[in-house]
Amino acid sequence: MKFISIMLAGVLTSNFIFMQYLGLCAFVGLSEQFETAIGMSGAVIFVMTFASTVAALFEQFILVPFGLEYLRTIAYILVIAAFVQLVEIFLKKTAPSLYKALGIYLPLITTNCAVLGVAMLNVKNDYGVLWGTVNGLAGALGWSLAIVIFAGIRERWKFMNIPAALKGFPLALISTGLMSLAFLGFSGLFKTVLN
Amino acid sequence: MSNRSLIGEFTKGLIEENATFRMVIGMCPTLAVTTSMVNGFWMGLAVIFVLTFSNVFVSVLRKVTPDEIRIPVFVILIAAPVVIVELVMNAYLPDMYRVLGIFVPLIVVNCIIIARAEAFAYRNSVIRSAFDGLGIGTGFMLDLMLIGAIREFLGTGTVTVGSMVFPPKPLFEPMAVMLTPPGGFVTLGILMAVLNILVQRSASKKAKVEA
Amino acid sequence: MADRLLITSSPHVKAPRTVRGIMLDVVIALVPASVAAVVFFGMKALTVLLASAVSAVLAEYLYEKATKRPVTVGPKGDGSALVTGLLLGLSLPPAVPLYVPIVGSAFAIVIAKQIFGGLGTNFVNPALAGRAFVMAAWPLHMTSDWLNPRTFDAVTGATPLYAFRGGQSVGSLTDLLIGNRLGSLGETSAIAILLGGAYLIARGVIDYRIPVGFLGTLGLGIFIFGKPGALFQGDPVTGILLGGALLGAFFMATDYVTSPVTPKGRLYMGIGVGLITLLIRYWGDYPEGVTYAILLMNLATPLIDRFVVPRYYGYAHDVEARRRANRAGGELS
Repeated sequence: MKFISIMLAGVLTSNFIFMQYLGLCAFVGLSEQFETAIGMSGAVIFVMTFASTVAALFEQFILVPFGLEYLRTIAYILVIAAFVQLVEIFLKKTAPSLYKALGIYLPLITTNCAVLGVAMLNVKNDYGVLWGTVNGLAGALGWSLAIVIFAGIRERWKFMNIPAALKGFPLALISTGLMSLAFLGFSGLFKTVLN
Repeated sequence: MSNRSLIGEFTKGLIEENATFRMVIGMCPTLAVTTSMVNGFWMGLAVIFVLTFSNVFVSVLRKVTPDEIRIPVFVILIAAPVVIVELVMNAYLPDMYRVLGIFVPLIVVNCIIIARAEAFAYRNSVIRSAFDGLGIGTGFMLDLMLIGAIREFLGTGTVTVGSMVFPPKPLFEPMAVMLTPPGGFVTLGILMAVLNILVQRSASKKAKVEA
Repeated sequence: MADRLLITSSPHVKAPRTVRGIMLDVVIALVPASVAAVVFFGMKALTVLLASAVSAVLAEYLYEKATKRPVTVGPKGDGSALVTGLLLGLSLPPAVPLYVPIVGSAFAIVIAKQIFGGLGTNFVNPALAGRAFVMAAWPLHMTSDWLNPRTFDAVTGATPLYAFRGGQSVGSLTDLLIGNRLGSLGETSAIAILLGGAYLIARGVIDYRIPVGFLGTLGLGIFIFGKPGALFQGDPVTGILLGGALLGAFFMATDYVTSPVTPKGRLYMGIGVGLITLLIRYWGDYPEGVTYAILLMNLATPLIDRFVVPRYYGYAHDVEARRRANRAGGELS
């Protein structure tokens, strides 16, 4: 039950992009090409899920026992950066084809606030290692859903004559607003069943 | 190396190199915390503090930081003032700290800060970097306050500053949507478009005058 | 000169059909529902419809003037703004304050359509985007400003749809069919909407696949889950007649610009709208989910168009063969 409710929240009802404003820079920046969006989604799903695990483990076995919670921000950002670096090295050696597909997106993820954001949310909600990982996966899937939808829409803009003042960010933001308006429809989905 | 005056380093952040509207970076907090003007003010203040100190730290250490590992070094130098802000806010402004939520620690991954470290502080003197941080930070704060004021006014009908409420009573029925994500996205998008048009106009006017 | 010289690949289909003609058909099809709205809800309905239609047309005109684009409203215009305004008006409760249709229309025309470049470039249905916006802006008005049909008293209670969801009875089928009940302006009279829908299908303006897929899925879902505490005992007919399902199915989900182009894609779109409507109606926060369901499927439309493509004539039938053909590097073609 908890699994379903976390998944539902992450993907639909409190989607990272449309409801929580997390990971916007990459969302707008990498949604112009469908293939790029897919590639980045793969990288985000991979990194966000396991970065949540690593951060939660770090919290449980190092920060809390030593009373270092006040250093959480600094610790998490280092853990995430190190994790991304490790993944990069690991993939390069063991799965070159996967590395080729995801490689260029990996460095971008360190500065994607969604990854640190989900780790922080996990602490705030007291999720622990297991549910923290699930929440990371859910958030990443929601983020990917959003960027894939948006890339589909944006590909059509290539053939349109859009006024210069609106090109790029303004139009992307307004479209995100319209999309998030549609996602409002999911609010409270299965609330009564799950509680 | 920049060749502006120190005042110029400060003022360029307000309009010319404005973080939100000209460089379009750091969008997540720009939208997340701007449900009121006061929120925008405190978030902006936190960013000014972090940006000024991270710029100073980066600039001080710029000669001894090896090129290859500069990004991890920047991250640590940024995280230090962020932790200070977190602790201070938690102690003296606990309510505001709760409102701003995870977006205070997330300043650490805010692109504005790392971008200034990389593009400016790593190449310029300490004093210049401090003024640059103050200027960009102040510009960012004004952006947040502007967006916050618009959303607060349309979404609640009034704008609250301290104990003053303006106008004392809503003049129209507030639109709750302005406080939700769709309202935020659309507001920022329209604001950017309007500013783009203004910039284009003034540019074409300047071109005409020169011609 | 450049716009007159059209270079396209064959086949060249020539038809007398124009955007203006299609929009005119839609307006004609909306007449019965509008008349029914005025009959049942009186002058109030008329003012809401007028406010909504006039402000939509005005918003289009003002935006096009301000941006120096060709004006598409007026006697020679394409009529799309009028359709958007009417549809928005018909989807509002009868007693809403007039700023609701005005703001809704302005949002629909400017934000949801014009800034992308006008008709044909928007990715969500403008009328529904406008409705979702005013719903989020003034939720109280949108869920409680009802009028009693014919007596015109203000009612703030729950609509029949809400009662139906809770398993209560909602009045006779005849009242539902002719529209003698609480509800938004254009969604109460089922007969009037069906009349308009039949006209559109007969004229070939809309594809039957979207309404059939939508209403079929919704009906099946209501039959299965519609009765609280029991499966397979719901009442699909009442469920479809209530709420905005009919209006959405014939007039909104079928919007050319925001629905898939392939027949199969359209069927998928209809089924998707039905499923999401069902989800929101029975398990979501909102009493009715048609607006959001159609908007969400509008978002999915580019993806449907991308992945649901017709097979080329004379091309390998099964997927494996197609894959083999791909691998062969087009040797088969």
